[in-house]
Amino acid sequence: MSQILLDPTSELQAQARAVLPRLTSLQDKTIGLLDINKPRGKELLDRIQFRFEELGVNVRRYAKPTMTRVAPLETKQQIASECDAVIEALAD
Amino acid sequence: MDLESRGIPGGYILTEEFRQADIAQSKALGFEAAKVFVEHPIQDRSDAEMHDIADRAFDAVVGLILAEQAETE
Amino acid sequence: MTIHFELILKRDCPTCAMLEPVVAAMQDAGLALDIYSQDDPEFPESAASVIDDRNLEKSWREDIETVPTLIRRNEHGDTERTEGWVQDDWRRLTELEHLGADLPAFRPGCGSLSVGPGMAETLALRFGEIQLKARKLEIGEQEDELEACFERGWSDGLPVVPPTEIRVVRMLAGTNRAADEVLGLVPPDLQPCTIEKAAINAVMAGCKPEYFPVVIAALEAALVDTFCMHGLLATTWFSGPMIVVNGPITGAIGMNSGGNALGQGNRANATIGRALQLIIRNVGGGRPGEVDRSTLGNPGKYTFCFAENEADSCWESLMEERGIEAGKSAVTLFAADGVQGMADQKSRDPDSLCRSFASSLLSVGHSKFAMLGDAFVIMSPEHQRTFREAGWSKQQFKDRVLELTTRPGSELIAGMDGNTEGMPEFVKDMDLPKFKRGGLNVEHAGGTAGMFSAIISGWLASGEMGSSPVTKEIEP
Repeated sequence: MSQILLDPTSELQAQARAVLPRLTSLQDKTIGLLDINKPRGKELLDRIQFRFEELGVNVRRYAKPTMTRVAPLETKQQIASECDAVIEALAD
Repeated sequence: MDLESRGIPGGYILTEEFRQADIAQSKALGFEAAKVFVEHPIQDRSDAEMHDIADRAFDAVVGLILAEQAETE
Repeated sequence: MTIHFELILKRDCPTCAMLEPVVAAMQDAGLALDIYSQDDPEFPESAASVIDDRNLEKSWREDIETVPTLIRRNEHGDTERTEGWVQDDWRRLTELEHLGADLPAFRPGCGSLSVGPGMAETLALRFGEIQLKARKLEIGEQEDELEACFERGWSDGLPVVPPTEIRVVRMLAGTNRAADEVLGLVPPDLQPCTIEKAAINAVMAGCKPEYFPVVIAALEAALVDTFCMHGLLATTWFSGPMIVVNGPITGAIGMNSGGNALGQGNRANATIGRALQLIIRNVGGGRPGEVDRSTLGNPGKYTFCFAENEADSCWESLMEERGIEAGKSAVTLFAADGVQGMADQKSRDPDSLCRSFASSLLSVGHSKFAMLGDAFVIMSPEHQRTFREAGWSKQQFKDRVLELTTRPGSELIAGMDGNTEGMPEFVKDMDLPKFKRGGLNVEHAGGTAGMFSAIISGWLASGEMGSSPVTKEIEP
């Protein structure tokens, strides 16, 4: 059963948990592309990588060992320390 | 996999097939991640078709991680 | 029909179960009788019909404490009631002379389900007696509620107690003040903070409801203009609000004014200070890296709250000095940095000990600064003993320390001693006290062993240019 909590804030923010601010520029940024290992995800990300690199953006590739499990902690920590933003594909 | 809680903005690319599942998942997790939907099915697509799908989605993919007012150049 | 009866009972009560023949007899006599069962609408089996009160609404509305309770209403709406089985009372109320003839004359009842632990708040919420105004946020089914609080940015970095409605209602019971009363505008966003919002944050901080009046007073003090909470939050300096609590409430809620008073381990000390910080964070929107620009901060910005040991002090309390009469309770807020230790294990006369305090106090902010940051001395029992034995008053102590910390401006000006930092040139012919009038405060706390006291230095922007200590009486 879901639980109800009372908002401790001034309620100026939207009700949903806010996403982080997006990047203001791609200049000198490193984008992580995480392949969760579903069929054709690799080919899709290959092309996305190519397009980012055309813009001069650094791209790092990561892969989950299997699509059925959450990414290992090491992968999360690695992405968090190496990247400015991350894109996951093909997610479900 | 929620790297947002580690301070890394991000988003997902997923196929239309999973739109309903995503709505349910977002509700259960109490968090609406940034995402781009691409057509379904894709398992049987050729590499050229995959490039095409990626190219068409690319602007939206950039939008997952870049603030609206920012320049891509 | 002018006389009407209501009977509230539950199957899980031997006295209620014993009343099956009594219920039958009342029905046979043609009495107008409504029967409410708290746990099983099939009970009592002798009843022609039973009203299901498993949600306990009837029991709650009638303030039922014991089952069985028999209520008699007459044509004017006057009621009389009897609890448990008291044969004489039941016969008098029902006017049935032989009622329960086979039963013992007396059998006590059982506790009503509506008065179990925590039920009062649950039922008050369920039936609309209490209406909370705060936005209700639904936590996802797969979310851990502790993690959910972190994810939503409500935490200072440590786990918070998830603010459920029940917990907030219990917190509100800790004060006589109305939930919708606005305590003021909390900086930096200048958002109104109601008693209810304060209660939500007090829950998250881990407060007991009995601490809540102290939290309220602390917030009121923080919102007094002269405390300058907005500037204090935004400064690059270390400071945050320190709360000293005085008066009988400190004993009543078990605050620590003894050993490790400034440290960890006491729930009241820890959570009252934290509640104030969470209100500033959540209601005011004051978060590190945003409006909070502190270069280094200090661990007291999680929580910094303790009590004065008044009982063993030979001096008037901080609160009394600041105009609150003995017997009352109050908080005093100070824009504080961290704790600086001051050791003197040799002085046996007050003047020598004053010199130790004075030389240590000179380092507040910068040893070449004068009349900038204020300071609190938290004097330990073993240090205060020296002054007690010599018959010194608190004022004598302060006067002597101020005298000893007054220096010629020429020694302090920028560039002196090969040090570019310092006071402006124009003070070079003046004598400069280290502290402004009222800038040195003293209170008594700490363990009985240790000839060590604490110096708590304050925000460089003190007094009119920044923050002054503020004292606020604690109201129930």
